[in-house]
Amino acid sequence: MAKKWVEFDLKDCLSCSICVVACPVSALSLTKDGKSGKYRNVFPELAPGACIGCGTCVKDCPMSCITLKELS
Amino acid sequence: MGKVLRVDLTAGTVSSETVPDRVYDAVLAGKGLAAWYLCKNIPPGADPLGPDNILGFAAGALTGTGALLCGRWTVACKSPLTGGWGDANCGGIFSPAIKQCGYDAIFFSGISEKPVYLFCDSAKAELRDASAYWGLDAVEAEKQIRADVSSRKRPCVAVIGQAGEKCSLIAGICNEGGRIAARSGVGAVMGSKRLKAVVLAGSRKMPCADPEAVKTLSHDLGRKLLKMKLPSGLGGFLGLGGRALGALPSVPMDGSMTSLIFREWGTPSNTPMAITSGDGPIKNWEGDPTDAHGMTRDYNPDKINRMESVKYHCYACPLGCGGRLKIKSNPFTQHTETHKPEYETIEAFGPLCLNGNLDSVLAVNELLNRAGMDSISAGNTVAWAIECFEKGILTTEQTGGLELRWGNAPAILALVEQMISRTGFGADLADGVKRAAEKYGGKEAAMHVGGQEPGMHDTRNDPQLAVHMVAEPAPSKHTIGMSIQYGAMSLCDICSWAPPARMHRKDSDYVPSEEMALISKANACYSMLTDGAGGCYYGEMMGVHMWKLVEYLNAAAGWNFDGDHYMEIGERIQTLRQLFNVKQGYDPAKVKLPKRMEGDPPLRHGPLKGRSLRNEEQVSLHWKAFGWDPVTGIPLPETAERLGIPALLED
Repeated sequence: MAKKWVEFDLKDCLSCSICVVACPVSALSLTKDGKSGKYRNVFPELAPGACIGCGTCVKDCPMSCITLKELS
Repeated sequence: MGKVLRVDLTAGTVSSETVPDRVYDAVLAGKGLAAWYLCKNIPPGADPLGPDNILGFAAGALTGTGALLCGRWTVACKSPLTGGWGDANCGGIFSPAIKQCGYDAIFFSGISEKPVYLFCDSAKAELRDASAYWGLDAVEAEKQIRADVSSRKRPCVAVIGQAGEKCSLIAGICNEGGRIAARSGVGAVMGSKRLKAVVLAGSRKMPCADPEAVKTLSHDLGRKLLKMKLPSGLGGFLGLGGRALGALPSVPMDGSMTSLIFREWGTPSNTPMAITSGDGPIKNWEGDPTDAHGMTRDYNPDKINRMESVKYHCYACPLGCGGRLKIKSNPFTQHTETHKPEYETIEAFGPLCLNGNLDSVLAVNELLNRAGMDSISAGNTVAWAIECFEKGILTTEQTGGLELRWGNAPAILALVEQMISRTGFGADLADGVKRAAEKYGGKEAAMHVGGQEPGMHDTRNDPQLAVHMVAEPAPSKHTIGMSIQYGAMSLCDICSWAPPARMHRKDSDYVPSEEMALISKANACYSMLTDGAGGCYYGEMMGVHMWKLVEYLNAAAGWNFDGDHYMEIGERIQTLRQLFNVKQGYDPAKVKLPKRMEGDPPLRHGPLKGRSLRNEEQVSLHWKAFGWDPVTGIPLPETAERLGIPALLED
């Protein structure tokens, strides 16, 4: 069975946590410290091995920052 | 059709109830749904701390649809502070959690024999023993409950601290490590029911008619926000900006500017501006900016930002006005971190108490967040005690030796600790300033409206705010409407009867007028609409062209209504809440501003020098604009009929 997980392109991330709340297994948390342009901000990060690859967060992200990856 | 969960704490039972579509059509969800349910189900004369009172947690209509700035939850009940309608509102992540369990709201009635918490996920809802958590502060209880509860989804917890457990009438309800739904004494009602926490771990999909349309609206708003930038290092100049605002004959405000400011600093950005402009009350509402000399530096928001370890965003919020602060070598607290204090907390324990010590304010912030006590009410109460002590109304004999002097930070901390633990002199202050002044005197120094302490915005600086402080069914709130907010929102572009957006004029705005009444009506209706949607005040402040609430609602519900229709929904929610008051025997005509807040006598120095209000006349015009009796404030039968309220409340 293919292993699926999500990856983030944080360039357009709003840090809105819609993905964090949407995740049915709480694999995401809004805890990654970083920068949004000049602004310091906090971003979503994935707990290792926790993603079930359901794609809910991908669908819900308003800025299309998340993609589903698949490893055969 | 949606569902609400009903929990009878006396019987220990839970059941679900279907809500007819006509209710959502009429009042949306959130505060509107709570108003409908409480109006129907709380009997007249119910004891606020008795079994007949109902405590409701409600998610907004737009929560979970993908709409930005729509993640706030409302908690509502009969207020033990005012005896009338009570509600409080909070961010965090609890609002979507209600919907992910399959409900739009959860209502608690009765009183449990022993401490309990409600656990609910996608499949079940049950009451569980909370004895192990009773006595813990809100932050520790949340941590332990999360560790103990086994669920696939990380549980969201709304919880009371010691203040709620001890039924302090100024207690609130917390989530996310001390973010608090603070007002109206909602935490006391939860404590009276022996309900320690509500723990939600559902993962249901939240409904939305047209998710792609909502996503497009959010994407457009997100792109705008990403492009907006503010030069860094401006925190030190905010005080100068406030001074200019105080001196100008009228006050401009732009919605996008608000977004920039709150993204950069959060609400602490307001402190220096409030001190110098006249917006922030000083020395228990009797002082002026010269009394708070140096405090624009003490509370420079850049200083606070430097302590921030990580930013905090509520659900669906692109602004992120919150943050977690690292506390280092602070002589007032052992805690090592705290939520970034809100402006309201800084002002209430800073300039209001003439206290320029930021460390002490951070310590108070963490104490109150953990205890689940309203910092606005607590700050007003402490400031009253200090003024009474300074004027000899209170003595060290009464205060148990506490030297309650202006700016005495250790004494302020000690008093807050007593209020939380209900010990010593503080025990008598734990129910707010009205009750404290009834016992000790000093009523002229007790700042409350209808029993609730006012938010940290000076009514003498804004006659619109003064109207809402009195006329709002849950009085003394600062979040319903202000002149600068009206200028920023451009409501006239969605509502045919709303007067054009304009600057707050400090000459004509102090003269009662029908136009001012229409502005306050529009402000209140839009505020209710926002709360029905689960929206954030800072979304409102962006203005209708940036945060497109009407378009969001149409897309999420599959409707095609215009702004007038939605403003009528807001009017209906407001009128329902006032009818709740009438049913409970709350007399709107008896609710007045304290003389000091009305400018009677006016201040002799500073930006508010010579300003006084004709608030009763303006409140009367506000009621008339709503179709309520201009003398009694009671909604007229024809108004209730026009809004379809009698039919809405029928079974």
